[in-house]
Amino acid sequence: MKHKTLTQSMAWLHTWSGLIFGWLLFAIFLTGTLAVFDKEIDGWMRPEIPATSLSQSAAAQQALGYLARQHPEAKTWNIGLPGERSDTLTVSAGEQRRGGGTALDPRTGEPLAVRETAGGGFFFRFHFTLNLPRDLGIWTVGLAAMAMLVALISGIVIHKKFFKDFFTFRPAKGQRSWLDAHNATAVLVLPFHLMITYTGLVIFYLIYMPAAVDALFDGDRDNLGRALRGAPAEQQVRGERPTRSEAAELTALEPLLAEAERAMGPVSSLSIHNPGRSNARIEARPVLGNRIELTKGQSMLFDGVSGEVLRQPAVSRPSLLTQKVMAGLHFAQFGGYSMRWLYFVCGLASCAMLATGVVLFTVKRRRRHDGEGAVGALLYHIAERLNVAVVAGLMVACVAFLWANRLLPVELAQRGGWEVRVFFLVWLLSLGHAIIRPWRSAWREQLGLAAALCISLPALSLLGESLGDYLYLELTSVALGLLLAWPCWKLYQAPKERAPRRVGKQPVAQVN
Amino acid sequence: MALIVALLLACGGMLGLCLGLERHYKQLWHRLPSPMLRRGLRGMGWVLLAASFAVSVQVWGWAMGPVAWFGLISLAGLSVAFLLPYSAR
Repeated sequence: MKHKTLTQSMAWLHTWSGLIFGWLLFAIFLTGTLAVFDKEIDGWMRPEIPATSLSQSAAAQQALGYLARQHPEAKTWNIGLPGERSDTLTVSAGEQRRGGGTALDPRTGEPLAVRETAGGGFFFRFHFTLNLPRDLGIWTVGLAAMAMLVALISGIVIHKKFFKDFFTFRPAKGQRSWLDAHNATAVLVLPFHLMITYTGLVIFYLIYMPAAVDALFDGDRDNLGRALRGAPAEQQVRGERPTRSEAAELTALEPLLAEAERAMGPVSSLSIHNPGRSNARIEARPVLGNRIELTKGQSMLFDGVSGEVLRQPAVSRPSLLTQKVMAGLHFAQFGGYSMRWLYFVCGLASCAMLATGVVLFTVKRRRRHDGEGAVGALLYHIAERLNVAVVAGLMVACVAFLWANRLLPVELAQRGGWEVRVFFLVWLLSLGHAIIRPWRSAWREQLGLAAALCISLPALSLLGESLGDYLYLELTSVALGLLLAWPCWKLYQAPKERAPRRVGKQPVAQVN
Repeated sequence: MALIVALLLACGGMLGLCLGLERHYKQLWHRLPSPMLRRGLRGMGWVLLAASFAVSVQVWGWAMGPVAWFGLISLAGLSVAFLLPYSAR
């Protein structure tokens, strides 16, 4: 009696792994989808930075002028150049090249007073750490990704008519429609689901599978990095002694930038070591994504006085290249804006697949949730609430995060932290709201709120000055708002329309 | 521009494959397709998908083209699946 068929056990696995991790995965996928446009969102969150059409070398000249005035003694100057995706010109002095720097007005070379903000990078970080301590977050997300693979494979096994139902969608049929929508978004976008989940795991191969590094390098990641890159070129630079240098003019940046662009594609940043000395070195880094391979850490080195090329960008070995191509496939930095849009829309489809999946769980049990005993009934009630809070509540929280960026006072201390706090507070409030309201009202109100906040987002640019060009971001936000308004509107009319049908209809398919 | 061409070709291809199935053909025209027509529609669907692949490779190159193509046919299939029941009424 207890013997189950393979399909039945797979269905059990799919239901429960899908439900437990579905909520987590929805949060990961939604923020990941937003992170496709992290720099654009970042630009929107810093409205003090003006839109510019200045060439990179002109912007770099302005930055050089500022650095020479403010930090003539510094050993290293770093310049982050504006590019296709961002108008931001940043400079910093000293070894540290990550972590902000000063934003300059590329037209005048004067520093800009830019608001402190968590920026679009918040979505990116939340996507793989859930804002937990880094390693804990990465492990949690990795576990969820494994569960996603399990759910995908078991989902394929239990889908009875994979090809026959390939294009099937029957709207306005209650549970049937939810199942159809879940199947269609899962099956048709399956290559994307599998690719993004698997490559997501491959990015952190060193964290998830540390055995080889532990055995060969005693767990020393720096040693591993050197071995992977191949050391000699590095030493050639570091070995020189800075004391024996005289003052010397820095070479012109324009031909140098042109040469770097020819060899590596568009350039994202420059580092100038020993500026104004005879042993000056200029390091140019490409923007990510001139090719699929994730070229993080790649650079090209020039002599700062003569402008000669001292080191060409390294070429990855096959094993490393494989990993970098997979990571690149996940980061979607290649192929320009059209590819970015493809990833964004596919990501939305993934979110829809996850959302319809968790909603399907409750739709099935709404009529007879006592079928699985007292625990099943309790779980149904919890799931109904959590669905609202995770799916609709998270969307509200994401928009609220953007609203907080414009509405919190600019002089607030720790402003970036407060934006994140608003995000989590709103999310928590949505859970409270989902618990005290009946489920239908909770869905309707939260979806309505998310839609309203998205649609009215462009109005925020009227508050205070905003110098950038945000047309596409605002159009997208309005479009997403309209998309969210649709289910909200459906919820208003649903009860009358569906009531008679519900009586006559018996549950059709129980498996899958 | 080329993106739109590749997307339209993918949509056409997916529509061909979709209407090559009895159930969906009936949805639109309320009668069964002849086996010839069905095979023709499917064949055309595959040809258009192949054309979409060729355009993707032309635009993005051999490395990125297939990646883009998979995304394009996924989205094309999704829009066909979701729009069909509404256009059938």
